[in-house]
Amino acid sequence: MKKNKIYPIWFIIAPLILYIVFFLTPSLLGVWYSFTDWNVRSKGIINFIGIDNYIQIFTSNIDYSSGILNTLKFTLISNIVKLIPALFLAILLKEKLKGKNFYRTIFYLPSILPFLVIGLIFKSILNFNDGLLNAAFEFLHLDFMKQKWLSDLGVVWKSIYGVDAWRGIGYVMTIFLAGLNAIPSSYYEAASIDGANFFHKLRYITLPMLTGAITINLVFGLTYGLKVFDIVYVLTNGGPGHATEVLTTYSYQLYANGAYGMATALNTILFLITTVLGVMIVTYMSKQEVRND
Amino acid sequence: MRKKAFASVLSVALSIMLLAGCGNNAGSGSNSGSSNSGSSSGDSTAATATSAPTDAAEQSFEGEELSILVSAGWMDNRYDATIARFEETYGVTVDLQTIPADQYSDVLQTRLAGGTCSDIFWIQSNPFAIESVIVDYENYCIDFTGADWMSVIPEARLSSCMVGDTLYGLQLWHNSPEYIMVYNKTLFTELGITEVPTTYAELLADCGTIAAAGITPWFLPGADGWQHQLSFFQIGGVYEEATPGLYDSLNDNTATFAGNAKMLEVLNEFKELSDLGYFGEDWIGTSSTNMANEFGDRNVAMAMANSSYIQQLKEDTGTTDEFGLFLLPLGDNQNFPTNPAGPTMFGYKGTEHEDLVKAFFSFVCTTESLQEILDNSPSYTNIHVNDPDVVQHWLPEEEAFMASIDESKMLTPVLQTGTKFTNDYWMDFGADMIAFCQGTITAEDVLSNMDANRAISAAIQGDPAWN
Repeated sequence: MKKNKIYPIWFIIAPLILYIVFFLTPSLLGVWYSFTDWNVRSKGIINFIGIDNYIQIFTSNIDYSSGILNTLKFTLISNIVKLIPALFLAILLKEKLKGKNFYRTIFYLPSILPFLVIGLIFKSILNFNDGLLNAAFEFLHLDFMKQKWLSDLGVVWKSIYGVDAWRGIGYVMTIFLAGLNAIPSSYYEAASIDGANFFHKLRYITLPMLTGAITINLVFGLTYGLKVFDIVYVLTNGGPGHATEVLTTYSYQLYANGAYGMATALNTILFLITTVLGVMIVTYMSKQEVRND
Repeated sequence: MRKKAFASVLSVALSIMLLAGCGNNAGSGSNSGSSNSGSSSGDSTAATATSAPTDAAEQSFEGEELSILVSAGWMDNRYDATIARFEETYGVTVDLQTIPADQYSDVLQTRLAGGTCSDIFWIQSNPFAIESVIVDYENYCIDFTGADWMSVIPEARLSSCMVGDTLYGLQLWHNSPEYIMVYNKTLFTELGITEVPTTYAELLADCGTIAAAGITPWFLPGADGWQHQLSFFQIGGVYEEATPGLYDSLNDNTATFAGNAKMLEVLNEFKELSDLGYFGEDWIGTSSTNMANEFGDRNVAMAMANSSYIQQLKEDTGTTDEFGLFLLPLGDNQNFPTNPAGPTMFGYKGTEHEDLVKAFFSFVCTTESLQEILDNSPSYTNIHVNDPDVVQHWLPEEEAFMASIDESKMLTPVLQTGTKFTNDYWMDFGADMIAFCQGTITAEDVLSNMDANRAISAAIQGDPAWN
């Protein structure tokens, strides 16, 4: 019995070594570099400078703090605008709906497209002067709906959330669908006999039974949101001005300018935020799961 | 025990398989490279290349691929014919990797630092750029010192291609007035504007007249990310005029952008034009792709462009309107934007195809190639090279404009070329200008951000004036 328990460790060793060598060690090295003056001119001579990089991040003329706040804001809102519609879509497409497999495919398709392609297409669609969206509004005599989608400070984030939701909802929905399919239909039948309506079933059956899927989606959404880069980079490149800068776009700029120490300091901050939030969510959801069991 | 041994073997095998995927093919690459570089004197294609200076008959690169990393707008289609001839001459393929302008700097720096740069890469060079943009040029750039093609580069441009006595870059650029105001002369006359503006007040008044006619006075493509800040930097002479010795002071770190009254004045004028809608309803979201059509349709009256753009405009749109040129009068500027700098190509030292890179540089410097590049450049009327056999196509408008400018107004180079570390933060400054126009930061912030950024570059490069 004991032997059987040890046996799988042999299979873990190889990936564990690779994980340590190619992921864990570079990550820890990154944390170390964030306390150094490593830059493009260092040529192998790297000096320990304590927390200078971190002080500079929070006192610099460049507003890194707003980049951190934007990242947190994106994480929160992008998850809300994806998770809630995706849940209802999943519930809808679980029902005996004609052509539901076709709809499932259609909703899932955007998530397999590369961000670069999506960004370029939407950049064109959202162009104020000759973009498809404004042209459509004009055609429908809805001129008041026309917006400067990517250059108006009040609209640009909404455009990013919209494009991100368009791409991500299908993926989130698929995970919810897998969770929904695991709920025995007898629960719903019993609830119906007891006179439960849709919202009662949602509140007392679906949501508690979906805790696992919700946890997965939340953790995926959280890590995705915190390290968001490509969709912002392609759509706005942090603009207009610096309105949509996030942690990773700043980090990329620093790296490109040769300030590697500062760039790794920003990444370390991102790592800390991700770890703290991730552990909190997983701990909370695990407790919920245990309570539901 | 047998099970344990089996598991051990399986684990080791798994590790080897995974590690095999991480291995590089440098060995196979170099083998194929050496086989490619082996002599093949019977290459009839290479032998027929009469104008290629490299002894193509002796050098065969058959089957090799030359990659070129370039920002959009620096090569366009003007090199297509030359590249096609090069491919045919040497039996190679050229992989042109054109990156959008607003992403180019980040991509280049990342690839240089990561050791994955293309065989040839470009930068927007100036006398300081090799040290401030490429930084570790000794590691990244092929040393071309002594190359025959050096004599093709005019003296004024050599400082953008060399560090000390070492030649690294090749700059083939035109000598037209760059980024001055191109305007629709016919439209101006129809609207009763008979004189071009020479002061900001006159420009403002003219913009008002044009806007009242339902036409966008000044086409400004903010979405490109690199164009709108030209209106600040191209008039460097006016800052130097207001504060004599400013360039030297900025270069020895005894002066700053922040607090410079003339610069603040120009930024505030720019914002005023933006607030009044004289750049169009959404200049921040507008790209330059549609500029010619906007001119052709008479939706816009003027734009910052190269003087030779007039020719392209007429060809692209078929307009019969007359166009003219004037100096950008922000800050009441009347200085010419002298700028002996431009996009410059470099050979990447880490390339496996160094000889092919050298062959390419020599190839584009032949009279035939230079003429071809010029003739295939609809937006340029000349190419600034030391080759009397190249036939230039100067426009009469350009010649008349150049003749009208006092030589004393041509002495100061543009701000981004004449001061250290400034051009490195071109895109950041542009983003700050937009943030200023949108009211999220002040004009003073825009200038102090540039100072802070320059200080970062200076610190990284160990410039003694900052350390």
